[in-house]
Amino acid sequence: MLRQPLTRALKLSSPARAAPLAARTFAAQPPAPEKFEVFIDDKPVQVEPGTTILQAAALVGVEIPRFCYHERLAVAGNCRMCLVEIEKSPKPAAACAMPVMKGMRVKTNSDLTKKAREGVMEFLLVNHPLDCPICDQGGECDLQDQSMAFGSDRSRFTDIHFSGKRAVEDKDVGPLIKTIMTRCIHCTRCIRFASEVAGVDDFGTTGRGTDMQVGTYVEKMFLSELSGNIIDLCPVGALTSKPYSFAARPWETRRIDSVDVLDPLGSNIVVATRTNEVLRILPRTNEEINEEWLSDKSRFACDGLKRQRLVTPMMKDSRGNLTPVEWEDAMVAAARALQDCPPGKLLAVAGDLADAESLVALKDLVNRLGSENTCTEQYFPLEGAGIDLRSSYLCNTKIANVEESDFVLLIGANTRFEAPLLNARIRKAYIHKDTDVAFIGPKVDLTYDYTHVGDSASILKDLASGTSSHEVMKRLESAKRPVVILGADQLKTPEGAAILAYTQELALRLQDKLEDKSWKVLNVLQRTASQVAALDIGYKPGVGPVLQDGPKVVYLLGADSGVVSRDQLPKDAVVIYQGHHGDVGAAMADIVLPGAAYTEKRATYVNAEGRAQQTLAAVSPPGKARDDWKIIRALSEIVGERLPYDSLDEVRDRLSQISPALVTYGNVEDNNYFAQARALAQSLQKPVSGKVDVQLKQLEDFFMTDTISRASPTMAKCVQAVLKQKQSKY
Amino acid sequence: MSLGKILALDKLTNFFNALRQNGGIKGSLYKLYRQDELKDGKLVGEDKYGNKYYENARYFYGRNRWVEYNDKVYLNYDGSQVPAEWFGWLHYKTDLPPHQDPSRPKYKWMADFTENMSGTTGQYVPYSTTRSKVEPWVPKKAA
Amino acid sequence: MQAIKALGAAAPSTMLSVVKKGAFAPVVEKIRQVHLPAPKPNETRPYSPFQDATNMAEMAVARLDDLLNWGRKGSMWPMTFGLACCAVEMMHIAAPRYDMDRYGVVFRASPRQSDVMIVAGTLTNKMAPALRKVYDQMPDPRWVISMGSCANGGGYYHYSYSVVRGCDRIVPVDIYVPGCPPTAEALLYGVLQLQKKVKRMKTVQIWYRK
Repeated sequence: MLRQPLTRALKLSSPARAAPLAARTFAAQPPAPEKFEVFIDDKPVQVEPGTTILQAAALVGVEIPRFCYHERLAVAGNCRMCLVEIEKSPKPAAACAMPVMKGMRVKTNSDLTKKAREGVMEFLLVNHPLDCPICDQGGECDLQDQSMAFGSDRSRFTDIHFSGKRAVEDKDVGPLIKTIMTRCIHCTRCIRFASEVAGVDDFGTTGRGTDMQVGTYVEKMFLSELSGNIIDLCPVGALTSKPYSFAARPWETRRIDSVDVLDPLGSNIVVATRTNEVLRILPRTNEEINEEWLSDKSRFACDGLKRQRLVTPMMKDSRGNLTPVEWEDAMVAAARALQDCPPGKLLAVAGDLADAESLVALKDLVNRLGSENTCTEQYFPLEGAGIDLRSSYLCNTKIANVEESDFVLLIGANTRFEAPLLNARIRKAYIHKDTDVAFIGPKVDLTYDYTHVGDSASILKDLASGTSSHEVMKRLESAKRPVVILGADQLKTPEGAAILAYTQELALRLQDKLEDKSWKVLNVLQRTASQVAALDIGYKPGVGPVLQDGPKVVYLLGADSGVVSRDQLPKDAVVIYQGHHGDVGAAMADIVLPGAAYTEKRATYVNAEGRAQQTLAAVSPPGKARDDWKIIRALSEIVGERLPYDSLDEVRDRLSQISPALVTYGNVEDNNYFAQARALAQSLQKPVSGKVDVQLKQLEDFFMTDTISRASPTMAKCVQAVLKQKQSKY
Repeated sequence: MSLGKILALDKLTNFFNALRQNGGIKGSLYKLYRQDELKDGKLVGEDKYGNKYYENARYFYGRNRWVEYNDKVYLNYDGSQVPAEWFGWLHYKTDLPPHQDPSRPKYKWMADFTENMSGTTGQYVPYSTTRSKVEPWVPKKAA
Repeated sequence: MQAIKALGAAAPSTMLSVVKKGAFAPVVEKIRQVHLPAPKPNETRPYSPFQDATNMAEMAVARLDDLLNWGRKGSMWPMTFGLACCAVEMMHIAAPRYDMDRYGVVFRASPRQSDVMIVAGTLTNKMAPALRKVYDQMPDPRWVISMGSCANGGGYYHYSYSVVRGCDRIVPVDIYVPGCPPTAEALLYGVLQLQKKVKRMKTVQIWYRK
């Protein structure tokens, strides 16, 4: 099975990529090969064999210009911008593809090197249009920057009247990526990204010489959940963002570091804003989570932040219509409802995008009012260890370590759409480490080959008890670093507890046999960004039992997935909705309190591996909307149960009382008590007969999953485009 | 030059003229209270709001055309109560008052003159024509 | 008088009763609004803008207000704040041709003795703290006339890095005089408009209603 694209043949083992992994204690690395000395601009540097000149130069801080080379992609060596002079070599060599040799002396600043760069730059510019003033890449364009730094200061291009510059027809690759192919310099980064990382082999080149074109050959949408990354990769303005086109220049925008909340991974992002408006979202490098990629939903759903927003408090009038009111009126009405509510009849439900601060404030308020009913929308089995042991609801392996694994078993978790960047990690392991993947659940496209074990839950039971005769059993037993990932959606079913118990049994049986004692096998992949924090704080998963009681007041904290509906509530129940988008929750509410979205508040989110991270306020909340925890704090005062915190720091002190892990930002704690969880789960290993199913099966399911992405016109266009592409004969 | 002029008796004549024109002693005192000035002059015309326009070439240029506002506005007169057609005459843009000027355009679509409404409910309030950056959610009306 | 009563009296008196009953806040806001009903041409306009009294006591405090306002509007002493070319036009209204003195308007060079500040010209970022300080030193009641495009909204220098985009970002402005620069006549009209505004102040009436 040939996993690597052909360009991988040129790939050299990269110490830059290996470096962060080497730091891990468990990684049983082969003994490091002997280092030798090379000279970059007469500076000596010790490198391992197989290092390229470009990487060696980076070690001593010498930057060599490049267009086609990218650390996370295979080496192509086709732009020739990195040409350097090597002593005793008759001609300059491409630094990105040339391995160093012992005692090699490289000159990155010599006349020959400079002349070579100027020459390459001149050739690139011959066929590059001079449309920088109307080009969206202007200001963040590698070609612009490098022609300033390394190009010639005069032009010899006079042939504007005879044949002119090359012109290439633009391609249509979907609603996210705008192509202006005349600007393309054929670096092939997009092609390599598509085939290596995204796993969609649609891009390629046709023709040669001046006729060379990058494209899909037939008109075809780029059907990937990671497609936006080729915009960042493109060194020129050939691939730009369609929703962001002609919106702003990079130097006008204010960039605020933040965290994404639209999937459970908590990818690190940069929010670019101007005049109090989120213009675009870019990935921020974090090797532990998202490397430098970002999924399309996280990147392009930001226009949903400007639509369907709740901008003013609302209350139902006598006719049953929600009408805008002042904060004072809404708060007093909400407080009155809470006061009149019998203690046990108060229910608080936290939704997908709730932050830890508002979660803890709401829980404290509800508890002070004498109710224990704080729930999340997602269910998690409470039998056995339940949510008492953190290890049973987290991704214990950690995202970055997944690429070290040698066997991945996915149980009802379509990682491609539930956590695209985790899937990219698995794919990376699949390609570079020959990791094998097995999948229990319906047949889905994971962008790589996997062993489909079946979709029956009983397979899991057999695997857990070690009685299975499937070849996967043998592979699991022999794996040195196996990973088992269970999708949280499986736990909703009546058999959820048993499925979790079997998964724990299987994972821990495997873990006990491992040589590497620090390797964790068990992963439960949550579906939403709020779930881990909510469970840490002590929310009960699932609303089922409380709804049976007939609550009198329901406080929805951004709960929009439709778990609670009007039909399930008594007629006289009061529904208070606090959140930022008008969706299912707000439509059924009696009182609406407008809150802030994740780009508008400083808030804590805990990702699927248990890593607390904080978002920063990039823009102010629209209209009369306010910070979520402040709304609850203000409400508590009116109710007469004042919460004892007045500032964000004090709320975070409260968070650290509950769990210090909630405020140690960027850190992830190792989990223990696996054996105890396993022991508690023993009694739950009941026979299972159901099917394992996943919610997001196709690409069109991926784009609109929460209130922000449902409000986003770009995401709607994506769904349309994918459906249209499916009709197409290509 | 007549004796009267030398003795400045014409000033006295003018004063009595003004007194007579403004309705005797009582009327003149009222005029003084209302507009701080007592002038005599030729009535040039009256606009449809009841403001009267006077001219007297004897006064210094710049003060020889003036308006006496409608009595009904009392002390609440305001420069903007002079309609556009009289504005030109009052400010020496033209010597022809509107009713004697045949070349004034008059079309059906021309809006009626209004005074400055600032401070009243009729005032002009500027509004933004740019679309708001955030589209609010509009709840569905109950049937 | 009849006309104004017919126009305005009906609505405010009902509102007034609502206020007396202690109903909700927006109505109080409306009552406090100093806006008069829009005048119609050819109708009698009484001296006092307060014609909606329902009983003798209100009538009395309304007259007290009239007296107070008459005093205030008859001696408005402006604090000069000449910042640019507008200041030259501001000098003109003090000169004999426009002669602002006849309205009791006399320039004072000290904020502590003045009632109104005329911000004449471009307000730069560097000047803004000084402007605010001077405004803070003025005794209540105080008013601000923003003179010219630059003071109104930055004007020609709106996109400059060093200019405040309108002095209303620093102090509350009562009257905006448009123009670049406004003629002395326009400024004088602005002063008269401010007099009109002062005439509508309800100092005693609001105290009484409390």
